[in-house]
Amino acid sequence: MSKKLETELFRAATLTFEEMGFLLPTPEINEQQLNAQVEAAVSVEFEGPFSGKLLVRVCGGLLPIIAANMLGEEDAPSKSLQYDALGEIANVICGNMLPGIAGSKDVFHVSAPKMDESMDLPPVAEVQVGLGIGRADLLLFVTRYPALMEE
Amino acid sequence: MALNILVVEDSSVMRAIIIKTLRLSQLPLGDVHEANNGQEALKVLDGNWVDLVLVDINMPVMDGEEMINRLRQNPATADLPVIVVSTEGSETRKEGLLQKGAGFVHKPFTPETLRDAILRSLGGSDEQKAGDGTF
Repeated sequence: MSKKLETELFRAATLTFEEMGFLLPTPEINEQQLNAQVEAAVSVEFEGPFSGKLLVRVCGGLLPIIAANMLGEEDAPSKSLQYDALGEIANVICGNMLPGIAGSKDVFHVSAPKMDESMDLPPVAEVQVGLGIGRADLLLFVTRYPALMEE
Repeated sequence: MALNILVVEDSSVMRAIIIKTLRLSQLPLGDVHEANNGQEALKVLDGNWVDLVLVDINMPVMDGEEMINRLRQNPATADLPVIVVSTEGSETRKEGLLQKGAGFVHKPFTPETLRDAILRSLGGSDEQKAGDGTF
């Protein structure tokens, strides 16, 4: 695992959960957060100087909370809107992470989020973010440019 | 004068957030149209008067960059104000959009950031136009 990649992934994730999901990351992950069950996963693929995908899993009842917070509503919206919200979170995390890794000159094309938790390769970076009663897992996969894995 | 705005974004949650932000912005809003992608947006523009377009970049069917290219090639929409609302982090791509006359708002954004970008895009100072909501 690359420390630089994990640092960038964590930075982009905490920024996005704070500013879009109105969820403040906890300084450490407690036992309840650690044991929380996975409830949903989405991934976004990217292509550019290096290619791969970012997988975001939320655990412990966060999915409806994220969507309601983003929409500024008291009640949880429909399931499809909950997944749409999580997809947009993944998209924003990915878009904010890539320049931190590659620099601001390189151009990446980021695909639309999809419900997909497949892991064909081992991740090059993996971070967990504690969020209230649950947690988010973020896994970065790189399918081209393996030198990134060794940074 | 009320502003007719077209929001082009493939995420319905993000469209709802942008529209809610617009409604809270004290801008004089008229009709707010929505489209899922660039191709849908061009159809909306065919049949409606729109003063400003807010558009994402990465979308299926037709992305925001292609949509802006089509707008600029059409004399009827060549000067239509466009603001890109995107996670795009590449300065190279942002400079390209700027050269096409588009403004840029980075996601995640605050309501103030979006409102100020709209005011800049429509011309004039932020203070002049935000005060009483008139244009």
